[in-house]
Amino acid sequence: MSNKPVYDREHHVKKATGIGDPQCFTGEAPAAKFKVGDQLRVRDLPDLFYTRTQTYLRGTACTVSAVVYESPAAEDESWDNTDKVEWFYSLVFKQSDLWPDYPSAFGNDTLETELPERWLESA
Amino acid sequence: MSDDHKHAPMVDEVSEFEILEIAVRELAIEKGLFTQEDHNKWTEYMHTLGPLPAARLVAKAWLDPEFKKLAVEDGVKASLEVGIDWIRTMPTQFGTPSDYCSFRVMEDTPTLKHVVVCTLCSCYPRPILGQSPEWYRTPNYRRRLVRWPRQVLSEFGLQLPEDVEVRVVDSNQKSRFIVLPVRPEGTEGWNEDQLTEIVTRDCLIGVAVPKPGKTANDPRPVRKALKPYDH
Repeated sequence: MSNKPVYDREHHVKKATGIGDPQCFTGEAPAAKFKVGDQLRVRDLPDLFYTRTQTYLRGTACTVSAVVYESPAAEDESWDNTDKVEWFYSLVFKQSDLWPDYPSAFGNDTLETELPERWLESA
Repeated sequence: MSDDHKHAPMVDEVSEFEILEIAVRELAIEKGLFTQEDHNKWTEYMHTLGPLPAARLVAKAWLDPEFKKLAVEDGVKASLEVGIDWIRTMPTQFGTPSDYCSFRVMEDTPTLKHVVVCTLCSCYPRPILGQSPEWYRTPNYRRRLVRWPRQVLSEFGLQLPEDVEVRVVDSNQKSRFIVLPVRPEGTEGWNEDQLTEIVTRDCLIGVAVPKPGKTANDPRPVRKALKPYDH
């Protein structure tokens, strides 16, 4: 008898078919820590293997524009670890905060992107 | 025709990536991960996609404030009204790692202009907008749009005044985005079909704005080399 663990390679298909991804993770995340309008900052965490949090965003202040969906973060999901589901937020950054030499004539310009909760902290 | 006429090659050159795709596909079929029929079905599905449903969604939103509200709040639900079911139309029935089922419609105003990019790769709302144009996938567009958005938009022929906030949308997680542009002047009294015609793919990505009479994308900008190779 082999002691090799039985791993269900179709677990995601079974869970998401007819429901959609990220819809299939709805209701699995702990309560959202942040809400629309909160002033946050992108944490500067190490990313040893895989991430979808762009380096240009790290350490920058931002405002929550929407609480969008629940999903495992890319850092986990890329290894097929889907048991730790968290809230994702849509965030608005000022271009002048992201790029020190952004032209001051266009000080209103912004950038919007989504990030999972683990990458965010209150500013 | 003279005898020394050069014949056109029988096949175009096949790139290394195409060879790699065929090799991986054949191995996957041999291993039983999917069948040739699955692959055909997927390929045929991908060829049915184009930007028309997204253009119609914008036209509907211009005509119906209630529908516009729905589109901005729940893009997946609004897509059903233009015949796109993000979850069930796709052969997988749940999306794929490049086509997740979160779809957001970003509404422009006279003082806010959205433009979409994926700095990580090439995320694009394919189920409703078709395949992305080649320039959208280039590192040039991806890295420069977030850094110098106004310069890049100028290259597409779109120059915006200082009082308009340019908002770059970087689609690097599970949502896919289109832009809902401002309805242009000169379209008063137009019906849904007429409005749909002026919402080009470039308007939906955000690198252009709709204009009456303009129903096609501009040719993509070509930046000439500063020091071209001399031969």
